[in-house]
Order: sequence, then structure tokens, then C-alpha cells
Amino acid sequence: MPLLSLALSLLTAQMPTAPAAIEAGRQVYMGSCSGCHGATGEGSQGPSLLSGRAARLPDNTLFNSIRNGLPGTSMPNFDLPAEKVWQIAAFVRSLTAPAAAASLPGDANRGRALFFGEAKCSGCHRILGEGGALGPDLSNAGAERTVHQIRESLVKPSARIASGFRPATATTAQGTVVAGVAKNYNNYSVQILDRTGKLHILPRAELKQFEVRDGSLMPPVADTAALTDLIAFLARQTIRPYTAEAQ
Amino acid sequence: MKIALLLAIPAISTAQVTPAAIEKSPNSGWLTYNGDYASTRHSSLTQITPANARNLVAKWVFHVEGAKKLEASPIVHDGLMYVSNTNEIYALDARFGRQVWRYRAEQAKGTRVNRGSAILGDNVYFVTADCHLIALNRTTGNLVFDVEYAKFKDGYTTSIAPLAIRNGILVGVAGGGSGQRGFVASLDPVSGKENWRFWTVPAKGEPGSDTWGGFPAEMGGAPTWTTGSYDPELNLVYWPTGNPWPDFYGGRRPGDNLYSDCILALDAATGKLKWHFQTTPHDVWDWDANEPIVLMNATFRGRARKLLVQANRNGFYYILDRVTGEFLHAKPFVAKLDWTSGLDDKGRPKVNPDKIPTPAGTKVCPSVRGASNWMSPSYNPATGLFYVVTLEQCDIIVASAKEPVPASGFRGTGNEGIPTEPGKFYLRALDVLSGDKKWEYPMPGPGIMWAGTVSTAGGVVFTGDDDGNLVALDARSGKDLWHFPTGHSLFASPVTYMAGGKQYVTIATESDVFTFGLFE
Repeated sequence: MPLLSLALSLLTAQMPTAPAAIEAGRQVYMGSCSGCHGATGEGSQGPSLLSGRAARLPDNTLFNSIRNGLPGTSMPNFDLPAEKVWQIAAFVRSLTAPAAAASLPGDANRGRALFFGEAKCSGCHRILGEGGALGPDLSNAGAERTVHQIRESLVKPSARIASGFRPATATTAQGTVVAGVAKNYNNYSVQILDRTGKLHILPRAELKQFEVRDGSLMPPVADTAALTDLIAFLARQTIRPYTAEAQ
Repeated sequence: MKIALLLAIPAISTAQVTPAAIEKSPNSGWLTYNGDYASTRHSSLTQITPANARNLVAKWVFHVEGAKKLEASPIVHDGLMYVSNTNEIYALDARFGRQVWRYRAEQAKGTRVNRGSAILGDNVYFVTADCHLIALNRTTGNLVFDVEYAKFKDGYTTSIAPLAIRNGILVGVAGGGSGQRGFVASLDPVSGKENWRFWTVPAKGEPGSDTWGGFPAEMGGAPTWTTGSYDPELNLVYWPTGNPWPDFYGGRRPGDNLYSDCILALDAATGKLKWHFQTTPHDVWDWDANEPIVLMNATFRGRARKLLVQANRNGFYYILDRVTGEFLHAKPFVAKLDWTSGLDDKGRPKVNPDKIPTPAGTKVCPSVRGASNWMSPSYNPATGLFYVVTLEQCDIIVASAKEPVPASGFRGTGNEGIPTEPGKFYLRALDVLSGDKKWEYPMPGPGIMWAGTVSTAGGVVFTGDDDGNLVALDARSGKDLWHFPTGHSLFASPVTYMAGGKQYVTIATESDVFTFGLFE
């Protein structure tokens, strides 16, 4: 009696929040769902789970979509125990939740060592007062970004540049060049933070040349174990202790 | 070509903010909530004068997304202006009004308004509504620390602009209307670690605890929700405290209820109480003494003295000796004042018994909002005038003997306006050493403003009015020189500063920051 069992499962079960359940869901997802929806839900043959309608489904609709499939589309049904379906749903939900809530593989301690060492992230990025200033402060990255966003920032830094961090160069009438990131700019003034951490406020009319580039100053991180470790580390960066309930 | 040859271009300098610089302000910058440690809000800038104020024009407007009620007085230093809103702060280019960075405390709870920030060294400081002090790098907005100094779950919230002094960032809490125990705390500017804390309601057995009739200190109120003043030479912090709780019913807290409605003088190094002066003992009218405390030196009755003045919510303008706390003089600065027949030679009021609120309701003047409130006054030493926004109003106050429960919304009941007697706001210029009114500027409007003033050496005093105008008045005569209708109600005090060699005046409205300068 699948209908009855479904009804019972809906009555008794709800979206799990325990990291172990999300991790269990991730494992099933990687085997059964990632082929169409991508490893982090970014979509490929199937739609993205990170934005649009799929990211806004109510819990029960998400559960039913996985369990029963979507007739008329290529989304098949997955005849799994309700508990397993809820775990997959919980993992899918975690893809759009702050990274701090996600169950992640990787070694966060190694990620920290990379961030402040070999990978040279801290040359531009800062965490709780330690590091550079040319890139965004990542002290609260785990509470403010999803895993997908963190991954994208590392692998494709130029895909989305945070406001105030586009590379810019200004040349004054006297020929002096100021290079750094544009905190802001329009036709009348520019505000550039240079590599030494100094801010330059320049009337546009007094500049001989001004250029803002679309690409990020940040080099991409190759998709290796180091990437997984960096994501694990960044996902744990929260200014205040992160709990799903507190949000 | 040379890369970043800094001397040749107008770069923001790396000048750190020192306590000595704050002591000398306000000049080109605006370094504390009330402009300087003495809270005079008197700027040394002179470009804008009574002769040219008519040429003031809007230079830029910055919209604070989502803001409903900006109450902050901006801080300005080194070309950047810091404007805070609930749980967030912006750094703006002070000359062009462009956002340089924004920091939002994403995990903060509470929605209370925010009244401003502080600056010291390379850090800007502000508080979240749930009582975290946050330090940010002033140029980049990067986080330096985020420390909790009171528990939101215990009912604590705050809106205060911190005060940065040598080795301490001073903060306070709300709670006069909800039954928390007030305190002033000094936190280390580098680490955020607490240096000291002064509880404004003494614990059982401590001096002053016998003024509560056994009422629990934990519920006493006496909040510290506005920014105090500081005398670096005496190394004393002057901090005002708010009303005892419950606001309007005093039957369960017989006595003076120290240190509610007080001006406190605290040792800046230790937080120890040097002296206190209580303006409204056993307050049952919600007359917090949280109005700004202005410090000044003058010859008073033939003797050079270090003075402290305050236009209090209870309707009296007070002059105290700030070394000893000695009461020197007081004078009503509103006509509508009937709760007392006067003060004795120690400054203690003789309360009219028929002005104690009753369950049936009692008409009392001034109103609960007070003759003045947290809107900032200013003091111009050249004119000898103290410019203060005043409210002429009475209220019906209703009291209740219900069992008080903290954080329940209970305040011992409350006040009702009198529809036939709406409140009227005025900017009044008082002789600073007598409290005598020298001129006044009436402010027709709906009676809802909380805007304050800024005074300048150029001889102009700026104020927000009750109709949403920023107004420039002649500091000596009160003559109306210029106004700009912002289209919003005003709940913040203006500031003035220099950027790119020009003087500007800024006021935050409900949701925008307006900046004005001379037409050129």
C-alpha cells in the first residue's frame, strides 16, 4: 500500500537536520542524482537545485518529487524507504543553506593550513583579523554563503565578483597610477583600495584614465583534494556559533 | 609611470585616531557621537557663516537600503563617513557620498535602532541590537572582533553609540522600560575584553541598595542607553542613567532608587563611582537623565570652575561642579512644568504630591517624552549660548499597582497625550551660566521629532525641525538663515566636517543621509 505508507511517512517524518542524516543523503545523491543535477546541485542535464522553483519547494513537495518522480519530465521516481528520501531531501536543502550547516568531506585543519600558508589565500583575504584586505573578509563565510557559492568562488573566481572588489587602475593627470580594487566608481568619483591597504578617493574629472576590469585578481583553485579541504575550512568560518535553530 | 606614488594624489591618509585628536575635535572631522569628549557639538569650522548660509545646496544623498528610522549621528574621519543602522554600518566617501564598504552583522538578533559609532586607532566600533560590540578596520570594514557584553536572552538590547577613550570603549544598555539591570562597561579597544563594569542598580548590601525598599536589583532598570562624556584631565567618565522600573508605578520600590535618573562620575580606569547626582529621585514619570552631558570650564560666581551642564527631561537645566558633583544651579527651561514647586539647595526637587500618577490618570508637565530628551544640544563658547531642542507638553499618566514582570511589556502602565494640548517643539538658546532663555525658534509640526543640533565657529547653529527641515540659524540672534525640506521626519542630530577643503553639513533622515555644502 504505497499511498498509505507515503501518508504515514509524511505524518511521522520530517526533514532531518542532523549532520549524519545530511551526509547519508549526500552519499545517495552522489550516486543517483548528481549525474543530472550536478555534484553541488548546480544542474547539468537536469535543472539547478540552487535557484529557481526547485530551490523553493516546500519540504513535502521536495520529498514527493524525489519519491514519485515528475511525470512528463526526465525526473524518475526513486523507490527508496521514506527515511532515505528524507535524507536526500535534507542534503538537497543543505545545498542552499549556509555552508556552516552542510555535511562536508575534507579536512578543515588542512584547509586552514592551506589558507594561511601554501595556497596564499590570506595574502588578500582576512579571517577574524588575520590576513590581507584586497579580497572579501571571510570571517563569516560559512554563515553567509552556500557550499556552492564557496566552491564557485574558489574554482571560478571571476564568475561572480563581490561588490567592491573589481580590479581597477586610475591614472592621474600627473601620470601617477593607482592600482587596486574599486570599492566604488561612477562618472564623477572613484574609490580605490590599493595593495598596501590605502584608500584613494579621486574625482573622475581629475583622472587621465580609469579602467575597471571584469576578471578577479584571484587565481582559480584546481579541483583537487586541496579544494575540498579549503571548502571544509571556509564552511566552518562563522563569527558567532552557527546553529540551524538560531537562524 | 610610478605606481601609487601617494604624495602626489589625494589619498586617504593613514592617520590613526588618538584620544588627543578626539579631545581637540570637532574640527575637520567628527570623531564622537557628540563631536568631542565634552559633548559640546561645537565645530571649529568657519566656511559657512550667517552671510553665506543662504547659498547652501544639497551635495549628495545616500539611501540606506531598508532603513526605517536612522537615528545615527555620523562619525567622519580622513575622508570617510560612518553611518550606522540597525545591526549594520556603512563607510561612505564623505565628499561624494559613495559607499566604500558596508558591514552587516548577519547573525544579530533584535531590531532596535542604532544611534551611531565610535572611532579609535584604526578601528570603527558599533553595537548590534543584541549587545555585541563590533570592531572593524576603518578603511576596509574587515572584522577585528565581535564580542557579546550582555545577553539578549536575558532581555538586554541596546542602541548606543559607544564612546572611545584611552584604553576603553564604553558601552551601555537599554532596559528602563522592560526591567533589566543597567550598567556601563569599558571594553578593551584591541581585544574587546571587559575592563570594568559599573552596575547602575546596587546589589543587596552595597551602598545605595537601601534606596529600593527590597526591590530586586535585577529588575531595577536605570539603563545607560545614551553616550556619556569624558574629561581626560580628571580621567572621569560622566554617564547618564535612565528611569527605575516599572516606569510609572513606584509603590514596590520605595526610596530614591539609586542610581536611576543620575549623572554618574566614574573613574575611567577602574569604573569606580566618584560621585553621583540624581535629578529625579523615585521617578514615576519616566524622566531618564539620559540627555547629553556637556562639559565646560568657566568662571561661575567669581570662581574658575570645571562645570557640567544638562537640560534634563524633567524640565530643569542643571549646572554642577564636575570635579565634586556639587549642585550649583538649576532653572526650568520649559514653561510647562508643574511636578515640583522647586529644588532645594542640594538640587533635590520638592515633588507636588498631586502630580504622582494614579490609576485614574494624572495630568503632569512636562510630558513623558520630557522637556528635552536624547536629541543633542550644542554649546558655543563664543556666544555663551547652549542650544537645546525643547518640548512644551503635558501628559496624562496612568499608574498601576500590578505585579511587575520583567520583559513582559509591563511598565506600571503609561501615558496618554492630551488631544487639545498638542506638544510644541522649540529650539531654545539658553545662557549657559544662568539657563536664561536668550532666543527661541518655534518648530511647527506634528510633534514627533527627535533631531538635535550642531554649532559652528562660523556663527551658525544647525538643527533638525519638527517638519523635516534641516535649518540654519544665526547663533547669536536665532535668525532663520536657510532651510531644506528633506521630506522625512528627523530623528538624528546633524554634524559638520571638511572634505576636499570644503565644509559640509550632514543629517540622517528616516532612510537617507543628506549632505549640504556651499554652492560653487
